[in-house]
Amino acid sequence: MSVAVGTVVEGMDAHNKVTGQSLFPGDLARPDMLHMKILFAGQPHARMDSMNTSAARSHPGVVSVFTAADVPVNEYGLIKADQPVLVGIGSNKTGGSVARFVGDQVALVVAETEEAAAEACGLIKVDWFNLPVITDPFESMKSDAPLLLPGQDTNIAKHNRLRKGDVRTVWNQCGSIVECVYETPRQEHAYLQPEAGLAYIDKDGIVTVEVAGQWAHEEQRQIAHVLGIPLDRVRVRHPAIGGAFGGREDISVQIVLALAVWRLAEQGILRPVKIVWSREESFLGHHKRHPYTIRAKWGANDQGKILAAEVELVADAGAYEYTSTKVLGNATMQCTGPYDIPNVSVDAYAVYTNNVPSGAFRGFGGPQGAFAAESQVNRLASDLGLDAVEMRRRNLLMDGSLGSFNMPMPEGVTIRQVVDACAHQARWTNKSYASPLSNHLRRGRGFACAMKNVGFSFGFPEECWAKIELHGSTEIERILLFHAGADCGQGAHTVLSQMAADACQVPLERVELRAADTSTSKNSGSASASRMTFMAGNSILGAAEVALHQWRSEERPAIGEYRFVPRQTTSLDDETGQCDPNISYGYVAQVVDVEVDTETGHVQVMDVVCADDVGLAINPQQVEGQIEGAIVQAHGYTILENFILRDGYVETPYFSNYLIPTSLDVPDSVEMVILENADPQGPWGARGMA
Amino acid sequence: MSRNVTVTVNQSEHTCEVEPRLLLVHLLRENLGLTGTNIGCDTSQCGSCTVLMDGQAVKSCTVLAVQADEANITTIEGLAQEGELHPLQESFWEKHGLQCGFCTPGMIMTAHDLLSRNPDPTDTEIRHGLDGNLCRCTGYHNIVTAIQAAASSIRS
Repeated sequence: MSVAVGTVVEGMDAHNKVTGQSLFPGDLARPDMLHMKILFAGQPHARMDSMNTSAARSHPGVVSVFTAADVPVNEYGLIKADQPVLVGIGSNKTGGSVARFVGDQVALVVAETEEAAAEACGLIKVDWFNLPVITDPFESMKSDAPLLLPGQDTNIAKHNRLRKGDVRTVWNQCGSIVECVYETPRQEHAYLQPEAGLAYIDKDGIVTVEVAGQWAHEEQRQIAHVLGIPLDRVRVRHPAIGGAFGGREDISVQIVLALAVWRLAEQGILRPVKIVWSREESFLGHHKRHPYTIRAKWGANDQGKILAAEVELVADAGAYEYTSTKVLGNATMQCTGPYDIPNVSVDAYAVYTNNVPSGAFRGFGGPQGAFAAESQVNRLASDLGLDAVEMRRRNLLMDGSLGSFNMPMPEGVTIRQVVDACAHQARWTNKSYASPLSNHLRRGRGFACAMKNVGFSFGFPEECWAKIELHGSTEIERILLFHAGADCGQGAHTVLSQMAADACQVPLERVELRAADTSTSKNSGSASASRMTFMAGNSILGAAEVALHQWRSEERPAIGEYRFVPRQTTSLDDETGQCDPNISYGYVAQVVDVEVDTETGHVQVMDVVCADDVGLAINPQQVEGQIEGAIVQAHGYTILENFILRDGYVETPYFSNYLIPTSLDVPDSVEMVILENADPQGPWGARGMA
Repeated sequence: MSRNVTVTVNQSEHTCEVEPRLLLVHLLRENLGLTGTNIGCDTSQCGSCTVLMDGQAVKSCTVLAVQADEANITTIEGLAQEGELHPLQESFWEKHGLQCGFCTPGMIMTAHDLLSRNPDPTDTEIRHGLDGNLCRCTGYHNIVTAIQAAASSIRS
């Protein structure tokens, strides 16, 4: 019997959020704390020849200045440690004196006030030797391009290659061949809470960082690596997190905060250090959604069966790897859509440049690939005189289909049901707006569908940990749930608690959550890649089973600890790309009606119908909130937003020139259809949602 | 050259010695420790710092503390009365008008001003009223729903 799952439960943190009691990282304070400012390189590609910090050090209020020479192990990165913590003289890693994008960090100033720290940053003198700036990934891919990172013989960070069937043999069987180039822009996460954090060394000597992030244990690992100290000497705790969307997947202020308190302690100064980034620093200092150029050539026979897809994708990875390799994997997957295509040839490249690094952002490369794939299908349908939905029906994946990776799809492929439900709800017809509204106003209606994987995929070793303690005597009076999952606003903590209540068959009010703290939990993985509900649910089910067994054996408290490890995925074969890339998928389809003013170019998004198969909506209200929010971010991405770099310099560092949707820009109506076809591997059947 | 400023914040009076350039938002957050009022941008676009000044919604990053001398300020912390949440707080909670919650205090204070001038707004009027407050999570739909629900509750 369900006691908490599948029902609307209001957000557990909502009371504190509506009363102003929630503490975001910028709200944290400790007695005697110091303030830190970071000097950014401001150079897209330059080698530091000299640096003079003496004026900054003697500036009133300044306590200390730290540079590259102060970093024990001067390298970090989520997938590859390829970025200097601080760029400059005395770095103990090769290439550590070279700034590779404007947001590379070069010095930390710690002072009594933020104002004094900022003033002192301005007094640091740096001499740079300019190096060639490469901002075009196509230039960067050329064999004679200057190499941007040490120890590499190419600027191509990753090349994915898919070869299924043989596209060359079928073009002559195609009644229609569509060839097109798609370009997608850089996008800024623009979460409302700019990066901030507080660090201190606690009474046991543990370096503690309180910060907004998406994966506490990974942040802990990277801090420990840079400081050269054991993991258990570092603690990361997430207070309230003001949005993330992938933008907090990589490190921002975590390592430098830890470094500052660590070095200060060596000088005998045991004082906390706080940093708050301005909006400009946030826009400069963290990664963006990858811009892609996608060249696609697809062919279909007269019956609308897609016979071949040949696609080349080039992603601008920016200065460092971040999650580019994983994002590229998703784009590689999505660029042929949720379709069963017998002949596929894909070459996908992520390429280093001197632009702001690219990385995780909602959809993780999927939206870029899907934009090309769906546009191709629409063009083919139009060319063949077929209805856009009917064209899809003739090509959709189903259980047992080999995807473009040439391996059977995981059981539970429901894209056909999702497409049908969406078309039905929208009363789909291709011919709704055959005639113009007026001389300059036109209406149009579009259809698109896609799939989204759960997890980091492509062989990444996934895991998710949970612990449940059952307290009481004859009945369970209180459940303590320990879990490291981050709640970035998506409602994860409410959902984790619901799942624990349900797994133990106890009312939700009895669940108490201890979350997002490396000192109380083991690794639960990242709150990203649509993985948290799926992985956390399975870890909670496992922990509950153990705890309930202990309870029945009269253990008090009964404690269950469980590390969920899903089915192992595999990485792409170098030659053919053949692999079993993903554990599971969610499926989506949308119909959008727009009005276009052909004189001004203004596009008004009128109605959106969105169908999602979420397996089971653990909390329907939260699921709807995710869908509505994502549609508006996609609306911004498509129509409003464009993060502009010129010669490596950021031209849109404020909300005044990087426009995100306001309450007046959003679609007139969003209608949601939530399907609940259980995923065989999902907890309660849930698929990835957040 | 510091000046004395006397402000009534959430019904309690404070006299502070401030630099003339100090912003109201910093007075609230740093001098008075009221961190419910958030700072989300450098350019007065986001509205996260919205508070009521003599009943009117202002972005507290565009008001100098000295301009608030003798003023009556209400922040998110002062909206609940004797432990009873304000209808707007109730409805943002119930209608899921928030996700990360960072924009929420500013949204609620803006909505408070809007409803005091227009107790029965249309959805379009609400959307116009919120045009100066950014939210990146919700897509605004549930915020509008929450404000409608609060308006209806206040009217009854």
